[in-house]
Amino acid sequence: MEAYFDLSVLTYGAPIFFKGALATITFCVVATLFGFPLGTLIALCRFSKLRILRGFALAFVEPFRNTPFLVQAFLIYFGLAQLGIRMSPVVAGAIILTIYSSALFAEAIRGGILSVPRGQMESARAVGMPYATAMRRIVFPQMLGYMAPASTNVIITLIKDSAALAVITVPELAMAAQTVMGDTFRPVEAYLIAAVVYWLITTGTGAGISYVANRMDTLRKIRLSQSSTGRVGQ
Amino acid sequence: MLTGLPELLEATQTTAVASILAIALALVIGLATAAARQSQWLILRKIAGFYVSVIRGTPLYIQILGIYFLLPSLGIDIPRFATGVIALGLNSGSYISEMIGGAVTSISKGQTEAARALAMPMSTIQRRIILPQALRLMLPPLTLEFTALVKNSAFLSIIGVVELTRTAQQIISVSFQPTQTWIAVAIIYFVLCFVLGLVARYLERSFSVQAAR
Repeated sequence: MEAYFDLSVLTYGAPIFFKGALATITFCVVATLFGFPLGTLIALCRFSKLRILRGFALAFVEPFRNTPFLVQAFLIYFGLAQLGIRMSPVVAGAIILTIYSSALFAEAIRGGILSVPRGQMESARAVGMPYATAMRRIVFPQMLGYMAPASTNVIITLIKDSAALAVITVPELAMAAQTVMGDTFRPVEAYLIAAVVYWLITTGTGAGISYVANRMDTLRKIRLSQSSTGRVGQ
Repeated sequence: MLTGLPELLEATQTTAVASILAIALALVIGLATAAARQSQWLILRKIAGFYVSVIRGTPLYIQILGIYFLLPSLGIDIPRFATGVIALGLNSGSYISEMIGGAVTSISKGQTEAARALAMPMSTIQRRIILPQALRLMLPPLTLEFTALVKNSAFLSIIGVVELTRTAQQIISVSFQPTQTWIAVAIIYFVLCFVLGLVARYLERSFSVQAAR
């Protein structure tokens, strides 16, 4: 193999990489849309009065945090197959990534809830608000502001770790690189292009989320200063 | 009963050795990168920033395969294990450089100013005033990074390094017991990472107690 960059890999692989990138983005969007509410439930379990719920949340989150995603994918995909539950790689990939994302979000949300000052919950309870309402209307909205950086991290981790799904032949971006490599026999170019595409997706996502978070922050401040009688907005 | 348990335990050693070598490499790379990012030369700062951005923005899976195929095409022929350790070290080094950068900037400016006032040269200040304090701050996150590295070492299996994950695949191809084997592998990783996590928490607590005094 010669050490030069073969441009024909790019022209040949462009449609394959494009499809792969779309698939990776779709997988991560699905995993985020389902993983966030699931993660919220698990995080709420961590704060439950019931010991069994707290135990369940810990028993769910810790294994996902302390084992490689690769092993999780193998275990769920081949483990379920051995039990007679056979899924297509696409379905399996979406399910595996969603479970993983719910564990990651659960930790991020737990951190977010903890960073809301305790007095917020206590005063809401003191004025007679039920726990669930206080959580939903007082703690949760504030938590979203605190956890913007953590959620960005989770989503970018999802994008990157989803590459490991290629080992169970889920058709996404890393798999696209493998396909192009097999077709062109130019592995260095194939993985370099894939790296560039991943880098564009992750930096784009990071910039996008921080833009939206800043906008929301500014809008909220404007709204607060308009609606207040001059005390809240200051 | 699970077949291949002794092999799995033996392969755990390979995982551990690879992780330890990689974290050592990552510390060197991280320190060099953090220094480069504070350098007075723009080009060094740019290169270091680019390296961190690329590594943090792309999957380790792609990095390992990319390096695995890139090295021979550059005429460098080294064993897979070495390739894997280099890839893991390069990956982790970028995260560690961010940690070092964060810890160094969180050391109060008064420390540098006081040392300057005593006519200490800048390089000595870095080495004897800033770094020792920053290291103490960094030890808990560094332990967590080591946990991440142990988990990431599973990716070495895709380039054929016979560590824990690869050994599991080999055992399964003979025993046809994927569920049992993967659960056993998950438990081994869990124990390694969970213990490291406890160490990190212990370090954090003991340092915050010291700081409070």
